[in-house]
Amino acid sequence: MDPAGTFATSFVRDQALIRTRWQWLALAAFLVALLIAPMFVGPRLVAIGIGIFITAVVVLGLQLNTGYSGQINLGQAAFMGVGAYTAGVLSTTFGVPFFLAIPLAGVSAALFGFIFGLSAARIKGFYLALTTIAAQFIFHFLILSLPTSWLGGSNGIIVAAPDFFGYRLSTDTHIYYLCLVVVALMTWGAYGIARSRQGRAFVAVRDDDVASGIMGINVTRTKALSFLVGAFYAGVGGALWAYYVRYVAVDQFTLIHSVWFIAMIIVGGMGSVTGALIGVVAIVLVQEGISTAGPIVAEAMPFLGGQISFAAMNIFLGGIIAAFLIFEPRGLMHRWIIMKRSYRVWPFPY
Amino acid sequence: MGEFLNYTVNGALIGLTYALVAMGFVVIYRASKVFNLAQGELVVLGGFIVWLMMIQLDLPLIIGLPIAFLCAGIFGFLIDRIFFSRMAGQSVFAMVMVTIGLMILLRGVVLVAFGAQVRQFPAVFPVFPVIWGDFLIPQAMLYGGVITVCVALGLAWFFNRTRAGLRMTAVAEDHQVAMSLGISVRRSVIIAWIMGSMLATLGAIIFLSNRSISFITSEIGLLALPVALLAGLESIAGLILAGILIGIVQGLAAGYLDPALGASVSSVLPFVIMLMILFIRPTGMFGWKTIERV
Repeated sequence: MDPAGTFATSFVRDQALIRTRWQWLALAAFLVALLIAPMFVGPRLVAIGIGIFITAVVVLGLQLNTGYSGQINLGQAAFMGVGAYTAGVLSTTFGVPFFLAIPLAGVSAALFGFIFGLSAARIKGFYLALTTIAAQFIFHFLILSLPTSWLGGSNGIIVAAPDFFGYRLSTDTHIYYLCLVVVALMTWGAYGIARSRQGRAFVAVRDDDVASGIMGINVTRTKALSFLVGAFYAGVGGALWAYYVRYVAVDQFTLIHSVWFIAMIIVGGMGSVTGALIGVVAIVLVQEGISTAGPIVAEAMPFLGGQISFAAMNIFLGGIIAAFLIFEPRGLMHRWIIMKRSYRVWPFPY
Repeated sequence: MGEFLNYTVNGALIGLTYALVAMGFVVIYRASKVFNLAQGELVVLGGFIVWLMMIQLDLPLIIGLPIAFLCAGIFGFLIDRIFFSRMAGQSVFAMVMVTIGLMILLRGVVLVAFGAQVRQFPAVFPVFPVIWGDFLIPQAMLYGGVITVCVALGLAWFFNRTRAGLRMTAVAEDHQVAMSLGISVRRSVIIAWIMGSMLATLGAIIFLSNRSISFITSEIGLLALPVALLAGLESIAGLILAGILIGIVQGLAAGYLDPALGASVSSVLPFVIMLMILFIRPTGMFGWKTIERV
């Protein structure tokens, strides 16, 4: 809802993402703050920032796939892993530069995801959730049973630092800027997809796939496409992960990671690009808090045992998914919209 | 020949154990339309309650087991009160995610309450295997198989023939329709969770007898998934056949394919079967076919 006095007079104006001069200013200020942040904060916060950026790319894809098109995807971590392995092999074995390897990683993950998208043409709901869980296990089984010389098997593969025309992007600050550029592009893309004809088709299929088929939407194509797009995002995020950690192994992409990603879109709000970003920031910060506080608590109260951090992480993840689905199924974004609306129409009730 | 029969019979009996765990899935689904992915965690929890009763408190079998079942029932009731009583009529996505959340939550709770150590589970059934001609069968498996078949037939009769069971079946069809016919969805869901949680404890007793238990034991839930899908999510008696089939396939693969190929084919094979069922016939052998209307 727009502030009072702002009316769209053309379709282009009505579609615009940034609607007022103040929003332009706020966006510019936010981007500048992100740009200069690494100069003022410590290395730990930069590392957390990179984590947030990489996760944000992956979760944006999941938001398009699950939040907008309603296809339950519990294999997003596997798609991310496909991207990470592709980027790793391309840059290490074939010497492909990173600005080609990142999109190619996205493409290979998209193809892997597309296969499972095709299964969504036949099955849906709970059965689809099981199939995407199977994607997770197939990914693990493939990596671990292929010859070690191809993908490293259980040893994983070491990835070289990305190289930009002779300038090595080796420090965390370099990676921070690389991730910032990619995440900005991908966020813009996600907004574009969400408000395009295809995005509206996604929403129609989510709300009722039989009815949208009768309306003339190609349901099979839409479902497969949503997996394609979602997995592309996951692949790009995986490639960034490979360049950041510079080591890719199969246990970085497990089912529990996929569940974390879904928790992020539930907390942020299903069916909202901004919500996905909010969910990522909220959950990653709590994760960091738990992993920082865990050892301190374990030291102070030894009777709780050494795995208190792991247990607390599990309780938090499970609890937050259930709590949000029961009490606030539309996520933090919905709460924010209610607040903003009541602020804008004040003193009137609506 | 004796070897082949041994693999077959033992495979079938292990398959029946999976069928017992899968029965937890089906009973909860048959009465509440929730597919409980946390069933493996319920098995671990039930197992730990039995362990608590029999090893920590050193109660005799005849007192310990009923108390354990009572605790499991109360626990199922609590799960329903806390999570699912507010979820009637929600979307499939919400239901699947709540059970996944429950799964992860319970794992954390088990870790805090019982720790990550591997513990010895009490021997509920006699330890020595039955040797009968060429056959060598663990007694827990043998009794377990008989119990599974009896429980399955009893539950199938309850759900298909009695008035209370048919009411719960209506809830599994459609929450709104059931409510409009005057059936209490809430009560049905409560009963479903109490039964599911007790079945998980029974599964734990049979599967874990004289073995060890830790929080990783919950993988039994994953192993039971292919059985539940092959039978179809609504069929209880079908679980017996599906469990025997999957168990025999897995037993024979472990006996003949694993040594030949040098890989753990037998552990992957059930999931390959599961994927094939999902792609070819998602309703399984005896599941209901649903017609969609707009």
